[in-house]
Amino acid sequence: MLEARAFEPGFLRRLDGLVLGVQRARTVREGRRALGRVHGLGIEPESFKEYTEGDDLRFLDWNAFARLDDLTIRTFRAEREIEVTILVDASASMGLPRGDDKLGMALGLAAALAYVAMASNDAVRLGAFTAGRGGTVRVETTPLHRRRELYPAFRPFVSALRCGGDTRMAEAVGRLLLERRRAGTVILISDFLISAGEYEQTLRLLLGARHEVKVIHVLGDRESTGAYPPGHYRVRDSETGELCEVTFGASAAEVCRRRVEKLSADLAAFCATRGIVYARAFGASHFDDIVMREFPRLGVVR
Amino acid sequence: MGLLNPRHLFYLASLAVLIAIYLRARAKPTLEVSSLMLFDEIAAPVASSRVLRTDLLFWLEMAALSALSMALAGLYVRRAAPAVHYQTRALVFDLGAAMGAREGRGTRLDQARRQALAIISAAAPGDSFSVIGYALEATVYRAPTSHLAAVRRAVNELKPEALPARAAALRAALMRARGAAEIEVFADRAPARGWLSAAGAGARVRLHQVGAPAANLAIVALEPGTVGATPGRMVVRNFSDRPQLCELALDLDARSVLRTTIVLEPRGQEVLPFGPLKRGGVVHARIVTPDALDADNNRWALAPNDKPDRVLVISPSPEARDDLARVALAVNQSLIVTAVDPVKFDLASAPRYRLAVLDDAYDPGIKAAARLIIYPPPWLEHSTPPPSWQLPVVGTVRMAEMQARADGEQLSQPLVLSPARILALPQWIDVLAYGTGVGSGGSFPLAGFGYDARGAMGVIAFSVNDHMLLDPDKLEALVLTVEMVKRLLAPQDLRIVPTGSSVSVPATGVAKIVAPDGSASAARADEMGRVRVRPLEAGRYEISSAGATAVIYANYYDAGESDLSAAPPAPAPSAPATPAAALAVAAAAARVKPIAPWLIAFALGAMLLEAALLTRTAMRWRARDV
Repeated sequence: MLEARAFEPGFLRRLDGLVLGVQRARTVREGRRALGRVHGLGIEPESFKEYTEGDDLRFLDWNAFARLDDLTIRTFRAEREIEVTILVDASASMGLPRGDDKLGMALGLAAALAYVAMASNDAVRLGAFTAGRGGTVRVETTPLHRRRELYPAFRPFVSALRCGGDTRMAEAVGRLLLERRRAGTVILISDFLISAGEYEQTLRLLLGARHEVKVIHVLGDRESTGAYPPGHYRVRDSETGELCEVTFGASAAEVCRRRVEKLSADLAAFCATRGIVYARAFGASHFDDIVMREFPRLGVVR
Repeated sequence: MGLLNPRHLFYLASLAVLIAIYLRARAKPTLEVSSLMLFDEIAAPVASSRVLRTDLLFWLEMAALSALSMALAGLYVRRAAPAVHYQTRALVFDLGAAMGAREGRGTRLDQARRQALAIISAAAPGDSFSVIGYALEATVYRAPTSHLAAVRRAVNELKPEALPARAAALRAALMRARGAAEIEVFADRAPARGWLSAAGAGARVRLHQVGAPAANLAIVALEPGTVGATPGRMVVRNFSDRPQLCELALDLDARSVLRTTIVLEPRGQEVLPFGPLKRGGVVHARIVTPDALDADNNRWALAPNDKPDRVLVISPSPEARDDLARVALAVNQSLIVTAVDPVKFDLASAPRYRLAVLDDAYDPGIKAAARLIIYPPPWLEHSTPPPSWQLPVVGTVRMAEMQARADGEQLSQPLVLSPARILALPQWIDVLAYGTGVGSGGSFPLAGFGYDARGAMGVIAFSVNDHMLLDPDKLEALVLTVEMVKRLLAPQDLRIVPTGSSVSVPATGVAKIVAPDGSASAARADEMGRVRVRPLEAGRYEISSAGATAVIYANYYDAGESDLSAAPPAPAPSAPATPAAALAVAAAAARVKPIAPWLIAFALGAMLLEAALLTRTAMRWRARDV
């Protein structure tokens, strides 16, 4: 499975030079290193300003006062952290087509992004959502981990995750937001084989909670090219169980490709209008290229 | 169009297997996909019934399997025989004695000749003909040639032989004609069943039966009797279904002895006694009444002369001397036989003998017209070279077995003889009987007869001691000895033989042979000083060379061949009677051409096309999915 790729030492060494692309800090926490515009406690000097009443005398530059007889306050950059939540779609559609290993790719990407995020000692957690047999939405997350030494702690979660159920993305995200955590970065990884209204509602919820959202659109090799074995088939939807008859062949493949492009273009357009980073990850065979080339190009990582 | 192996149509059942596989394959397997969103533009609702739709691969496989099945079943097409401009044809003639039977102004052979000449005249330009005749054996008179004048000449020169037409000779003739596309057989009677098999399956054989039933009389046998003692007799047979008047004449050395007329009942046989003859000579019996066939109307026999010839018998064994003297007297009572021990024989006072019989004794140089060497001793005097008449002895076997009689017929069981010498006979001696040593595998001559410059010589390799010649269980040995003595006592310049037998006549240089019909031919004597003659006509042959003349009388009689009433009326040129022949004719008219190679090639082509399509699909849709 492809998720194991994200824990290979050689692959992780290649990720050491990357950092997560974050547009603005959302969370502030003392004693933690983070770059942000909010001034505050920290160890990295930023500038000087004249003393005004109420300033903390601990930051008064006594050497300058002795030489210049001016009261000058040293200002520091606040040390802040970003809480990164990487949410993986674990619905039944992520398990098909079986040879494409979409779920494995999604989990591998999620783990790789977690590793990159942990390079900045950001708090990172992985999550997955699916729907149970009774239609209930389940959202599972790992604890937040900050140090890279704890990166292997994600492995049991990644290895044990199985797909199934419907894709009820908006409901799952709504349940996640009920935790009322500070706004951070949410990376949503899914095949987005849902209605446009469903994913638009999902993304609006995340944006409404002031999260910085990144969308990773995952599709399999065969799925994205329509390269199914030619012939006549009954085709069953993995989530709804709906049946139809399809004759696969060259023309059907072309129709499939057009359909995927349209789906991707609609999603990308919606993201673009909302300032959401959108990245396509089509084909498990391109896993390394996607992580090492596409993600930096699209701003997912830097 | 037809099938050579209809049973192999069973392989068509494989089509059912293919259809079953196809139906199972086209049962539209269910494929689970992530979402139908991707197929909403190409999907169709599930139909409860489907129209039968097949793909190209299925039809290719159907075609390949069908072609292979039909190839196994031996599908063939009939095609008209291609027009052959240069057809080879064989004219096969029965030259048996019956073909010489008179009918109207000609003979049966003349009828066959006319039909053959008509066929030659009607032949297409470029056709080639061969002329083959058969009686005792098959002979090619003209090899295949398109020179029709030569073919006509060969046909016109054919002559009936005073021999029966044997079935084996017909088969041999048909085998020699195998290269011909058409074989025309001219015979006076229908050949035996299965005779066409010798012609091969590809030839078209036509039988032209000639001749009508005819009355025929024949002299079956002639016994001259003993001169001055016992009467002779002749046997005459009527082959007609009606009573026949038969006028007979009997001559002795061209002097009439008897002339009488008898009435023979239908298919009856009459024994006519005559004599006893007052002197010896050549007895000639003939039927004066004209009938259909001349060859069996004459018969010759030799009446032994009552001249008291001298015969010498030399043997160390008194019993053997006595037995051999008895045998000589049994052959001719007029002989004066002298039996002596070789030790007591005085060569100086010995007269010239007609026959010298030497049993287990050296020839000291006896003056004799003929010799019979029995169980010759080896030459033990190594100090002196053996005389020219000494037969080289290779070895001795304690017991010998005779395998075949003097006439060449195989014995029903081997005759166990006493000790025998293994002799290296000279080439001029014809071997009459072969034998083997008891327990050994190799054969060696037991008896031989031949002529050289000193006269006739007979050789018997086994011992005749212990009264073996009088042993009733070993009668073949006595018969062989009597025959040998008869041949040795017969005049060398006068031979009476059946037609077809091979006769060696002493000659020097080039010998002139005059046949019964007056035609003359020349033959060169071989290194042994003899000329071989094979009389094919009944009558008198005269062989003369270097001032010496020998006469051969050839007798002919064959019950089957002389029976001319058995031949049915000649039908029109008939088609072959057997199914095999009919098949051969049908095959020649419309040739069967199996198309299995084409079917197999078609199947291979279909498979190659299918492989190409599959490869193309594999390259397009990944090999693992195909």
